[in-house]
Amino acid sequence: MGRIVYAAAMSHVLHPPYYEKNVGPDGKRMVEALIAVVAEMGRELAARRPDALVVVADDHLNVFSFDAVPAMCVRIGRSVRRMAQEGAIEFDRALDGLADRYPVHEELAGRILEDGLEAGFDFAASWSAPLDHAFLSPLTALHGDRPMPPLVPFWVNCFVQPLSSARRCFAAGQHIARVVADGPWNVGIIATGGLSHFPELSLARVGQSDVEFDRRVVAWMERGEHAPLTALTGKELHETGSHELLNWMVLLGAVTPARARVRFFGEMGRIDLAALDWPLP
Amino acid sequence: MSRYDLNVLLYRLKKDRAFRERFRNDPEAALAGAELTEEERQAFVRWNPRRLNELGGPLHLVLSIPDLGGH
Repeated sequence: MGRIVYAAAMSHVLHPPYYEKNVGPDGKRMVEALIAVVAEMGRELAARRPDALVVVADDHLNVFSFDAVPAMCVRIGRSVRRMAQEGAIEFDRALDGLADRYPVHEELAGRILEDGLEAGFDFAASWSAPLDHAFLSPLTALHGDRPMPPLVPFWVNCFVQPLSSARRCFAAGQHIARVVADGPWNVGIIATGGLSHFPELSLARVGQSDVEFDRRVVAWMERGEHAPLTALTGKELHETGSHELLNWMVLLGAVTPARARVRFFGEMGRIDLAALDWPLP
Repeated sequence: MSRYDLNVLLYRLKKDRAFRERFRNDPEAALAGAELTEEERQAFVRWNPRRLNELGGPLHLVLSIPDLGGH
């Protein structure tokens, strides 16, 4: 019987130059402190020796064009490439110098996809979607020079309306947990993004976050109170700039009723940075 | 009606360097044939990212178009 052996969620622009440019030296120092915490979490992840690592993250309109935007998508195939973006801005420069190709855990990805369709989750499948900073920035901070385990990239549409509900994302995570339990593998799972930033996805409001909202959702996670999290509405997530919390909801569904441990919480103004893990038996 | 074209144009500006250069050299010609409202067209031609965002252009595209994006 398989197990989830490691679970964590964290912000995903772990790139000091971005914060130095947009926030200043304090922002740079804060993200450097977060990166150090994530590196320590990565050592703990490695000690659990996962056979595969499910990574739940979002596309920043880099990968899926407007021809079709999947609500949720499982990356299948044997390997996955880093996104290439010429003339990249700071977000995407987090990818510069990283390895071009990463292994995919083909069998687990296939099980999540195929069992999901059987269970009523109409996941999309992609054989070719590359990974942007939402995946590779935290993965790199976690692993450093260590080889990564085979990945199962799992996209949640966080930005192109209409979005899946928090409740639906939580249910997708419960599905992933069932697949893991039915399989033979020890699996890690991470979710990335957030916390609140870019409220209403409005350019006029870039630079704002909602600290009270972030404190509230993190406290719910610490207490293992998942009902109010699944009840969050799309309107609440949009107004607070918490779109990427949908990724975290998938992870919460996978580990519920476990309680989170806050490893880092930093209030920056532009965004609240965080890293949490869920101690598992 | 035309939100799709607005989004597709922003996506092409990010991903298609040749199209981006055509747009920088002659925005009206690059936009010819696109189903845009006059307001949307003017926001492109005058390169007004905030207006494009207000008209429905996705924030992450508006922010990240090489040499045109900005906060």
